[in-house]
Amino acid sequence: MELSVQGIVRRFGNVTALGGVDLDVAEGEFLTILGPSGSGKTTLLKTVAGFEIPDEGAVFLGGEDVTLAPPRKRDVGMVFQNYALFPHMTVARNVAFPLEMRGVRREEIRRRVEEALRLVELQGFGERLPRQLSGGQQQRVALARAVVFGPGLLLLDEPFGALDRKLREGLQLEVRRLQRRLRLTTLFITHDQEEALIMSDRIAVMDRGRIEQVGPPAEVYARPATRFVADFLGESNLLDGVLADGAVRIGGFTPVPLPGLPPGPVTLLLRPEALRLAEAAEAAPCRGRGRVIETVFLGLSVKLRVQMEDGPEMLARVPLRPSLPPPAQDGEWLAVGFAPEDVHVIPRG
Amino acid sequence: MSSPGASRRLAGRRRELALLAFATPALLLLGVVFAWPVLRLLSLSVEGGSLEHFEKAALDGLYVSVLGDSLKIAAAVTAICLVLAYPVAFWLSRAGRIGAALGLFALLLPFWTSVLVRTYAWLVLLGRNGVVNRALRDWGLIEAPLPLLHNMAGVLIGMVQVLLPYMVLPIYAALLRVDPDLSRAAEGLGAPPWRAFLRVTFPLSLTGVSAGCALVFVLSLGFFITPALLGGGRVVMISMLIEQQVREFLDWPFAAALSAVLLLVTLAIYGLIGRITRGGRLEAA
Amino acid sequence: MITRPTRRGLLRGTGGLVAAALPLPALAQGAAPPKPDRIVVNASGGAMNSIFRRSYFAEFEKLHGIRVVDTSPVDFGKLRAMVNTGNPEWTVTEIGGQDGLRAKALNLLEPIDPAIVDRSSFPEVARDSHVFISSAYSTALGYRTDAFPNGGQPKGWAQFWDVKRFPGARSLRNHPTDNLEFALLADGVPMDKLYPLDMDRAFRKLDEIRPHITVWWTTGAQPAQLLVDKEVVLASGWNGRFFELTRRNAPVATEFTEGSLKSGCFGIPRGTRQAYWGQQFLQVMTNPRLQAIYATELSYAGLNPETINYVPEEIRPMLPVAPGNLAKQFWLDVGWWTENGAKAQERWTRWMLQR
Repeated sequence: MELSVQGIVRRFGNVTALGGVDLDVAEGEFLTILGPSGSGKTTLLKTVAGFEIPDEGAVFLGGEDVTLAPPRKRDVGMVFQNYALFPHMTVARNVAFPLEMRGVRREEIRRRVEEALRLVELQGFGERLPRQLSGGQQQRVALARAVVFGPGLLLLDEPFGALDRKLREGLQLEVRRLQRRLRLTTLFITHDQEEALIMSDRIAVMDRGRIEQVGPPAEVYARPATRFVADFLGESNLLDGVLADGAVRIGGFTPVPLPGLPPGPVTLLLRPEALRLAEAAEAAPCRGRGRVIETVFLGLSVKLRVQMEDGPEMLARVPLRPSLPPPAQDGEWLAVGFAPEDVHVIPRG
Repeated sequence: MSSPGASRRLAGRRRELALLAFATPALLLLGVVFAWPVLRLLSLSVEGGSLEHFEKAALDGLYVSVLGDSLKIAAAVTAICLVLAYPVAFWLSRAGRIGAALGLFALLLPFWTSVLVRTYAWLVLLGRNGVVNRALRDWGLIEAPLPLLHNMAGVLIGMVQVLLPYMVLPIYAALLRVDPDLSRAAEGLGAPPWRAFLRVTFPLSLTGVSAGCALVFVLSLGFFITPALLGGGRVVMISMLIEQQVREFLDWPFAAALSAVLLLVTLAIYGLIGRITRGGRLEAA
Repeated sequence: MITRPTRRGLLRGTGGLVAAALPLPALAQGAAPPKPDRIVVNASGGAMNSIFRRSYFAEFEKLHGIRVVDTSPVDFGKLRAMVNTGNPEWTVTEIGGQDGLRAKALNLLEPIDPAIVDRSSFPEVARDSHVFISSAYSTALGYRTDAFPNGGQPKGWAQFWDVKRFPGARSLRNHPTDNLEFALLADGVPMDKLYPLDMDRAFRKLDEIRPHITVWWTTGAQPAQLLVDKEVVLASGWNGRFFELTRRNAPVATEFTEGSLKSGCFGIPRGTRQAYWGQQFLQVMTNPRLQAIYATELSYAGLNPETINYVPEEIRPMLPVAPGNLAKQFWLDVGWWTENGAKAQERWTRWMLQR
């Protein structure tokens, strides 16, 4: 079922939590709302779920206006941040709850609960109480409960926040597989950009109650529409300058030729992996010299902070191979360069 | 002793003892000012190794029927308190910080005045020519004054007013511990608000309900000023008879026997309440 | 079992030794023992206390230079416990209700020393060997003067029982004492033939009045309040409470006919350390001038025949011991009640529970 959010405004006193949000999620699509805490993403989710009534705007589910409909009338399955499992009910009772509320017959309930538990690989856990399960297992129960009644839309509110990294990665893939199998339209909320990149069909980046950009992960990552998106999604070097005569001058580097763009103030985004160092930089069209301030080993790569001569501090990441020595030592001077094709230009207001 | 397992157990034991040490002053105080006098009192009831006082308490229909009445009154007060307190506690738990502070203040305000004063205040309010009856008459709602005082109604009103906070506070505390996301989840999963409440919020607040019920019930059984003043003499509680035996007839052994019976009945009911609510809190599959 | 000397035992032992080693104290020669810095007088508290402070306490402090500390409330159980544990904190205590003789029977009181406390002019009833009668009061009939104007109030309990001639809500005490007597009087038993009480007959008579009793009162303040609030128009009650209302010009008056007279008592707890000064305090309490202060304020007159002469003339008819009133009333038989109180109470409670 497709979801359409149109012009949603929500104020709490004189704080505007949502300042006019438009968003469309296609049938079967996995859309992630990514934003820092306080950006309004939870309020948006609650509005879609029906726990908040917006001051302005409308919510359409499957083409039907549900703006004022109570949560139970919306056909939406939701997984809460802390799972919100009913602690006094067994796992089976928890999963059966939405079916009971819909008046499903008892044998049918039993069959579907079993099926849902199998789907999340928890067959045989039905008689346990939530507190007897691990965090990951609880998470999966919450998921089973949210999908058992075949909702048209699945809402996931930072469901992996409380889990350790390894468990989180496993579950992320599992949820994604499940979502694909059930072809469930899914709205997923997180502040973890990595998670957003891994899981989503599309990402909507939110800041201060507004959506800054919507697009597939690769596009949002490579071509952020605003400085905020560039900064929030992945690591970046953001360099302010003015485009004039087809080039931008930045301290510490030779001018960056950017032909065919209108003149004016711009911000240049350079991802750390686009920077070349030492010998690799010699042939780069844009070059400068810098001194290594810090090197951090990340296993497959090494991250360096480089202070450019008469210029900004740059973040670089270069792949490591066991056979090669590390590219530089702290305090060492080296050449830093990049190709203009690797630069993404963000116009500045 | 020298095995690593034993020394580890010993370390654990030591930690428990350290924790116990913190509770020791309170335990000692309870022991001295509560447990010891109670035991002394109970031992009085079997003075001389005879059970005659218990025999009298059990065989004389008077004491049995008064005890029965007391239990019924306590149960009624508990039930009324529960019905009145739950919505208040629920509202308080959802009222936000300022609302809750004001609400709790209003709730606890009566504690600043003595039970005796409050009981007299009810005399003024509920009398034949009291505030309530006069208002009802002035509005033309009644012709003759309602008998609100000097009967069971007066006793129940007075006791409920005094005991209400003891019911509200534990339920409020229990409701505060119930994650509001749970009822939200229930509603999101298809439950109308009242079903979400009945299936989720209410069962999870049962610890508070049972604590409140036990507290109010036990306190009710000990009441004698309020029933004596507001009951017009027609309502007799077992505690009134015990007080009479102690103060007026100095028959301490018999008073002790009555107290022992009351204590036993109270403990039994206390256990029962606990068992019922423990059962209710977990839903069978 | 090994007996170990307790600390108290040791102290007592050494005390004895010291006493034996010293020259005999002055006590033996009939003079006063050494003065303590204070004595403790336990009484009902409240208004009574402030009057005590102005009369007896002040006089005693002036005469002997010993401070009087007052405590309350009156508690028979506590008196018994104190005497039994051997260390009464009270030098003198009021004894509530009809418990004076019981206290004496249970051996809780020091005998009163006639050489110190002079009651030779008191009536016979007030010269007990252990119990000091401080005042007399009465359970009488309080009524609203607007309901029964011009002396139209019931006079005597037969009339109280007559609900046709004297309509209106009534109140009696939730207690058998007085009520059994009132019922028998209402049933035609003469005042001097009341005792021993015929309980069966009394309860039968009480059955008649029961539907007309709106409130069975428990505390002394209740009947007065019930009259003021117009909850009832007739109520039995302690005359002092009605006296107070009359003096404050409330439409309430007292009818003494067939009232039940009782005495307020004091005693010296047996074994109290300052027993001698307790005797001296009781002697102060015999003073008619001081008794009159108390009588004037609370209507509870002491039994010194001189007292009435110190009371303002307009107050005298409101005192239960005024010669005209005394004759209309009977003295409650404390002995009968000491003997039969528990039985009567049990029957009373049972009767109250009948529906």
